[in-house]
Amino acid sequence: MNTTIQKIDGNMVVMLEGRLDTAASPETEKAMQPLYNCENQNIIIDCTKLEYISSSGLRIFLSVLKNTKPKGCHVFISGLNDDLHQVFAMTGFTNLFEFK
Amino acid sequence: MSNLSPHSEMLLSEFRKIRPQLEQLLEGIYAYLNSVLKEQGVELNAFEYRVKTEKSLAGKLERKGDKYHCLYDITDLVGLRIVTFYTDDVDKVAAIVKRIFDIDWQNSVDKRKLHELTSFGYNSLHYICRLRGDQRVVDCTSDTANMPFEIQMRTALQHAWSAIEHDIGYKGAVKLPGELRRQFSRLAGMLELADDEFSRLRITMTEYRRQVEALVKSGKLSDVPLSTDSFRSYLELHPFERLNHHIAAVNQAEIYPASLMAFLPLLESFGLETLDDVQQFIADNSEDAYQLALSQLAVTDIDILSESIGLLNLCLVYVLKHNGGRDGLRNVYDTINGTDRSNEVLADAVLELAKSLSFG
Repeated sequence: MNTTIQKIDGNMVVMLEGRLDTAASPETEKAMQPLYNCENQNIIIDCTKLEYISSSGLRIFLSVLKNTKPKGCHVFISGLNDDLHQVFAMTGFTNLFEFK
Repeated sequence: MSNLSPHSEMLLSEFRKIRPQLEQLLEGIYAYLNSVLKEQGVELNAFEYRVKTEKSLAGKLERKGDKYHCLYDITDLVGLRIVTFYTDDVDKVAAIVKRIFDIDWQNSVDKRKLHELTSFGYNSLHYICRLRGDQRVVDCTSDTANMPFEIQMRTALQHAWSAIEHDIGYKGAVKLPGELRRQFSRLAGMLELADDEFSRLRITMTEYRRQVEALVKSGKLSDVPLSTDSFRSYLELHPFERLNHHIAAVNQAEIYPASLMAFLPLLESFGLETLDDVQQFIADNSEDAYQLALSQLAVTDIDILSESIGLLNLCLVYVLKHNGGRDGLRNVYDTINGTDRSNEVLADAVLELAKSLSFG
C-alpha cells in the first residue's frame, strides 16, 4: 500500500495505491497525519489506484474528515471505482463526503 | 502645505506617537467584547474595528481642531462597529456594552431616537466608552488604557442605509429639494418597517419551533406538519435508532453519527405530510429495509456504518415497493449525495439485489 501526499494547485492531494486493508491501515493512517494540520484547504483523496478498502480504511477517511472539517477544509474523494463506491453506499457514508 | 493650526499639529504628532498603543488597546477591546458577545449567544452580521487613520484625524482637526484640548477629547480615535441581524439584538448588545464598560452618557447618542416627525434618516446607536479601572483586557500604559473609544451598534439594514447614504454623498445637514427628501423618507421608513418585521418574524418562528417541539415531545405527531423544524425535533427522539441497531448487529458494527436532514426532501417527495406519516413509513418498511441492508452487508466484514443507514434503506425500499424503478432509486442517491453519474451504478446494484427480496 502506497500513500503519497502532494500539494497541487493549492489543494492537498493524497494518492492511495493498493489495498487499504486492516494490515495496511496503521501505516496509511500515519502517512496521512500531515493532513490533520490543514486549514481552509481542499483535501482530495485520489482513489484511482485504490483496489480495496476495509472498515479500518473507512475509519481513516472519517478521521481525516473529523479532524479537518472543523478547520474549514473540504474533503473530496475522487477516482473511486464502482465496487468501492458500492462500499461507501452500503455503509451510508456517501453523504458525508464530497465525490469528484 | 498643512492647513492645521499649531495646536492641531501638536495633537496629530501626539497621535502618531501613541498609535501603536491605540492599536493594542483596540485589539484587546475587540477580543474581550467579541468573547462576551459569543458567550451570550449574540449572532452578528459583522464586527468591524479600526484606529482612525491619520488622514481622517487631520481632516477632523482641520474642521474643528480648536474644540479639542487634548487627544482624550476626541472620542472616536478607537472605534468598533457591531452589526446585528435584528433590532432586538442592537438593544441586547447595548445592554452588554453598558454592563462591561463605563459609558460617557454626555457624548453617547441614540440616533435612532433623534428623528423629528418630518425628518428622515436611519441611524445607529453610538456609545462612547472607557475601560473600567479594574479591567485588564489590554497590556498598554495606564494613560492609553484610559482613552475613550466609540462603539457603534446597528442592524444590517441600518448599515446598508449608512453605506448607501455615504456613497450618495448625502449628509443630513444639506438642504434637499422636497421630492428628494420624500424619496429618502420613503426608503428610511421602508427599512425601519422591514427591520421591525424581521424581528417580529424571528419571534414568531421561535414560538412556532417551541410549539412543534412540545407537540413532538407529547407524541401528538399527527398534529405536526413535516418541515425542517419539526423533522429536526423529531430526530431528537432517535426514531431510526432501533432499525440502525438491528442492521448494525449483522456485523457487530459501530454506528458513526451523521445528519439526516438531507433526507427531508425525499420524505416530502414520498408524500409524507406529518410526523405521524413518517412514523407510519418507518413501521411499514423497517423489516424490508433490514432485509435489504442485510443482503448487502452479510457478505462483507464491514463493521462501521453511518447513522443514516436505516433511513437510507427505508427510502430505497419505499421506492422499490412503489415501482419507482431505476430512476426512483437514482433520485434517492441524487438527493442525498448530489447528482452524479455513479448514482446510476448504485441504483442498478440495488435493483439487482432486490430481485432476490420479497418486495423487489
